[in-house]
Amino acid sequence: MRNVRIFYEKKGRMKFVSHLDMNRFMSRLIAKSKIPVWFTEGFNQHAYMNFAVPLSLGYVGLYEVMDVKITDDSYSLEKLVDDLNAVSTPDIHFVKASESVMHTKEIAFAEFKLSFDNIDAKMVNDFFTQQSIITKKKTKKGGIKDIDIAPLIKKAELCGNELTLILTAGNENNLNPSLVMTAFYDFYGVDPDFYDVTRVMIYNKDLEQFV
Amino acid sequence: MNNKEFERLLLTVQKPGRYSGGELGSVIKDKNKVDVRFAFCFPDTYEIGMSHLGMKILYSQFNAREDIWCERVFAPWLDFEEVMRENNIPLFALESRDPIKDFDFIGFTLQYEMSYTNVLNMLDLAGVPLRSADRKDLSPLVVAGGPCVCNAEPLADFVDIFFLGEGEEVDLEVIDLYKKHKALGSTKAEFLREAAQIEGVYVPSLYDVTYNEDGTINAVTPKENAPAVIKKRIIKDLNNCHYPENFVVPFIQIVHDRAVQEIFRGCIRGCRFCQAGFIYRPVREKSAEVINRQAKCLCENTGYDEISISSLSSSDYTELEPLLNEMLDWTQQNHISLALPSLRIDNFSEELLEKINHVRKSGLTFAPEAGTQRLRDVINKNVTEQEILSTCKIAFEGGHTAVKLYFMMGLPTETDEDLKGIADLGQKIVDMYYGMPNRPKGKSVSVSMSVAVFVPKPFTPFQFEPQISKEEMERKQAYLKSCITTRKIDLSMHDSSTSFLEGAFARGDRRLGNVLEAAFKKGCKFDSWNECFDLQKWNEAFSDCGIDPDFYSQRLRAYDEINPWDHLDYAVSKGFLVREHQTALNEKTTPNCREKCSACGANCYGEGVCFEKR
Repeated sequence: MRNVRIFYEKKGRMKFVSHLDMNRFMSRLIAKSKIPVWFTEGFNQHAYMNFAVPLSLGYVGLYEVMDVKITDDSYSLEKLVDDLNAVSTPDIHFVKASESVMHTKEIAFAEFKLSFDNIDAKMVNDFFTQQSIITKKKTKKGGIKDIDIAPLIKKAELCGNELTLILTAGNENNLNPSLVMTAFYDFYGVDPDFYDVTRVMIYNKDLEQFV
Repeated sequence: MNNKEFERLLLTVQKPGRYSGGELGSVIKDKNKVDVRFAFCFPDTYEIGMSHLGMKILYSQFNAREDIWCERVFAPWLDFEEVMRENNIPLFALESRDPIKDFDFIGFTLQYEMSYTNVLNMLDLAGVPLRSADRKDLSPLVVAGGPCVCNAEPLADFVDIFFLGEGEEVDLEVIDLYKKHKALGSTKAEFLREAAQIEGVYVPSLYDVTYNEDGTINAVTPKENAPAVIKKRIIKDLNNCHYPENFVVPFIQIVHDRAVQEIFRGCIRGCRFCQAGFIYRPVREKSAEVINRQAKCLCENTGYDEISISSLSSSDYTELEPLLNEMLDWTQQNHISLALPSLRIDNFSEELLEKINHVRKSGLTFAPEAGTQRLRDVINKNVTEQEILSTCKIAFEGGHTAVKLYFMMGLPTETDEDLKGIADLGQKIVDMYYGMPNRPKGKSVSVSMSVAVFVPKPFTPFQFEPQISKEEMERKQAYLKSCITTRKIDLSMHDSSTSFLEGAFARGDRRLGNVLEAAFKKGCKFDSWNECFDLQKWNEAFSDCGIDPDFYSQRLRAYDEINPWDHLDYAVSKGFLVREHQTALNEKTTPNCREKCSACGANCYGEGVCFEKR
């Protein structure tokens, strides 16, 4: 049995599929593709799947990661990708599969590209060069607390109407770009604009691609 | 509106997956390469509509034809409707996102009366005139099918064509005729006139209805050669009838999120309150071999890990045990669970329970419908108290500790004794549980009893009967509540204002069209949803139109009165319904179709249970 990491893109109409719904979607896809995955052996048996970092509803993801266990050692990973693509929608496109190298715990950063219809470069520069950016975040218990997100922003760079953000990711200190942008609009006291978000990459603590 | 703008708006509402489309199994075609575009509309939310098997069958069948593109449309929930109206987004089909007003057909499935305002709301959102007479062009044609068509008179002013009975054949015949007329450049009137000649097609505008002074119908007169009586269509051979090899598999969770395999149509039982038991006659089965093959194919193509077999009464399927054995073979191997809804108490065997337990332990639900044997005989629900108790006993011994029981209130001839019987039955189940030496240790029993208000429906023996009044219902509810003395019984009797409205529309005539439109204009929609239903607005709509809903629901109808649905032929004759009504009043039961034929008239198709060897 091998631990296999599958990389895929989530885009188009699949943006509107929440993380929970993705779980169901993937388990059906796996059933259809007949790839030899390992099933859990408990009361409610299901194909074992693990998603590295959930993607928020509405975002495009170009480097999405799902781990499975393959029971048949002779089954090639190229075939796995082909078999999945054969039954998938074009909006979930499988790119590659390989034996997993890093542990999902090692994920430390994620890179996002936010595209705006119109955004002011000076406002962006002034905002992101602050020493601290205090904003309100909902806690898991339902309360609201002030947090400083400045230390969680590794990089913020505007190029035309596209803002690249590298933010801390993973189980601890995960920072969602929408929280950053809410802080941004609150800071200037303006109504938020629509913007599209694409998660392009996830990294470990040394900013190496997660593999 | 461009796609980007649209998708941004989607992200502002709850569950955008309801409107995004793009599900696996959805059919995308090149609109320039099809002749007919069909918008299949379910007048309720996505989650409910997507659970409906009939839509899946017709969607798949229409799209199997190269010249037709059938797409899905659901009623947008309140939040998205607001977004649509604010941004001038007309109602669109999920696959292409094209406005449905440009389609050839806008087809509704009418599953329950309380969805009628949604039909009007959807037409309005589409930007299509509500009334048939105001839509002058050949297209879009507004058509409708489904069980409510057996008395669709309240929608007669809005719908161009009703399809009676099963749609697989008649729908395509009408589409083909439409293609011909579209090519000829015919007018709508020319097309409708010819469509009315197809069996199973009811064009309401071709019938004049006149009324007596007392408000009852004097005559229904066909025009322009339309048939005096319209007969419903059935599929004679289910084994060779189209069945989907794949479903559209939703991303978001829907009500019935599983593969569904139909095993037969109709029901042999003839419970006298049950419309489905009459309008789907005669019973026609699929062979176990076909069912097994179709079910397997469906699971493989959808990837579902659950499949349910579907019929009005699964345990009446003649080859149930061999079918289950064969299905369990591959379902277990592939980690698929098998669900068996609609089992009847009286033939719920130990082996069957064992087989279901093999897969997954779910809740146990029974529908005795009435509290005493006398009343169960009246409604022809042929189960005995002994059977209910012994089934519960088996279930308790199998480790269940909760049972759910469904009842109705306001059935014909019902007395307080019958209501008390509901409470007594619950008490007996509780007592039996505690009297069992081998009951599940340390667990308390829970008996949930849900009591709905009976609504008399067309084409049932109770179509002549009045519905109880609201005051009487309140009295009965209070009385029943007072009969229950234990906390182990959880009695639920929800507010039943909708039942009275349903009662009026179920047996209403064309004059209700005005009421419907008035209610819609006051903002009534999603009437089957508690958070939306507004009785006040409905009352205003009735009084604005000078119509008393009680005239339709709370009046004893004479056998010789012309009912609004009497020109529709659902294969069960009025004579039979009268006989059954009489038998009911005499507290006598009628044997099921397999025991003895009661000459309802459904043998006219030359198929089905009527011709089985007894």
